[in-house]
Amino acid sequence: MSSFDADVIIVGGGLSGLSAGITAVKEGLNVILLERGEYSGAKNVSGGRMYIHALQKLIPDALERAPLERPITKETFEIYCGEKKKLVFSFEEKEKRNSYSVLRAKFDRWLASEAENLGLLISYSTLVLNAYRENDGITLETNRGTLRAPLIIDASGVTSIVFRSLGLRNFTPDKWMLGVKEIVKSDVNLKEDEGEVRTIVNLIQGVKGGGFVYTNKDTLSVGMAVTFDSLPKSEVPAKDLVEAFRERLGIQGEVLEYSAHAIPYFGFKNLPPIYDKNVIAVGDSAGFLINDGFTIRGMDLAIGSGMIAGLAAKKIVDLKDFTKTDIYYQMLKESFVLKHLELAYSRFSLINRPETLNVYPEVLCNVLSDMFTVGEERKTLIEDALLRLKEKGISLTQAIKDMISAVK
Amino acid sequence: MIPLLKRLGLNKYNVDQKPHIEVNTDICLTCKDKPCTVSCPAGTYEALPDGRIIAHYERCLECGGALVICPFGAIKFRFPEGGVSYNYG
Repeated sequence: MSSFDADVIIVGGGLSGLSAGITAVKEGLNVILLERGEYSGAKNVSGGRMYIHALQKLIPDALERAPLERPITKETFEIYCGEKKKLVFSFEEKEKRNSYSVLRAKFDRWLASEAENLGLLISYSTLVLNAYRENDGITLETNRGTLRAPLIIDASGVTSIVFRSLGLRNFTPDKWMLGVKEIVKSDVNLKEDEGEVRTIVNLIQGVKGGGFVYTNKDTLSVGMAVTFDSLPKSEVPAKDLVEAFRERLGIQGEVLEYSAHAIPYFGFKNLPPIYDKNVIAVGDSAGFLINDGFTIRGMDLAIGSGMIAGLAAKKIVDLKDFTKTDIYYQMLKESFVLKHLELAYSRFSLINRPETLNVYPEVLCNVLSDMFTVGEERKTLIEDALLRLKEKGISLTQAIKDMISAVK
Repeated sequence: MIPLLKRLGLNKYNVDQKPHIEVNTDICLTCKDKPCTVSCPAGTYEALPDGRIIAHYERCLECGGALVICPFGAIKFRFPEGGVSYNYG
């Protein structure tokens, strides 16, 4: 063991890496965490909404101390059907404290200081460039020299430097989304303990994905997430996507930051390898993202998988058998992380089909438009719906099948 | 619309002296559609009149997309040592 620098090296100081580090340190392991940014969060971007159940397990009094922005108390969905028609519905729950808007540069920095207070060693500005197997362990080449450990937790985000270097990743543009986002200064017109999430689809043509507006304390997070393979078909290039979106929504105010980040978009049945001899992947690096039409989330999965990785690391180190990383996978299967990913898969794949976010909204808009129009001719709702579906080449059987997978 | 370079100027950069992106521009000569030019949120990849691509690596927002946007594998990408630091994220 003396040739190793630590029991465990964690690559990446975002939510998953810090959660793994906090847990592993509490378990008494000798851990080093490498973060490429000058501080945790320097390189992180997320839409900005965290479901906090996992955070509260990691840090029980987090709600009193964490730099969260606003509790999300209102959900609004806006579905555009061409320029002139849109379908909007909202759901409000004023006492809801289940999810919060967050800004990751602030949040991750706070979580890193919590981790450091618990005794986690974090080496900042440390960029892992390559990883390879050597003498029953993994050697990491960094900009500050090489480091070795028998167990590596890859928390480096969607680009998974460790798994990728070991030949365990093969990325394609249909399984990644581009997230682009602006922070816009705004007098948020809400009470302090209220926040809104707007989810907006079909406003920009050609892309597969959607947009969002989250209310923070005194800013808005305005952005889009679309698959990389749809970008060449977009009516606006990637560099102008968020600006076009913001302008069409009529959101004004000083833009404070422009950011971008890739998002894993694999789905339960297409997840990449998440463990191998000597290595474990967590969070984005493991491809953990859920989109079930109601919730779009990765941060709670990052924290959850990180905590499990920390616990699994202790078991693996105690066994002194670093081929036994499937311990991590078995624990994940018992946890909410893989269970929720599996539960979400039916709607995930439905949303992923091109017609879902384009054709069905248009059919719905057309039917509503017909129902709200009065002339001498008038059809029953079902007649009209069938007609409007047929116009788009969708059979009743197909529509019913899709409806069933939508409620699964 | 706020021009791209003005938006990028809002961010804090510590640009590496050496580029962290390399493009095999011989491959670009045979590429007609040049998807990289419309897929990068930082407008890093610009097509020159001769058909080669120039990479303005100093604009990079480090999204990671460079690993998937070229169907011909012409882009060699790693993260920079310095690069962008987000204040909000």
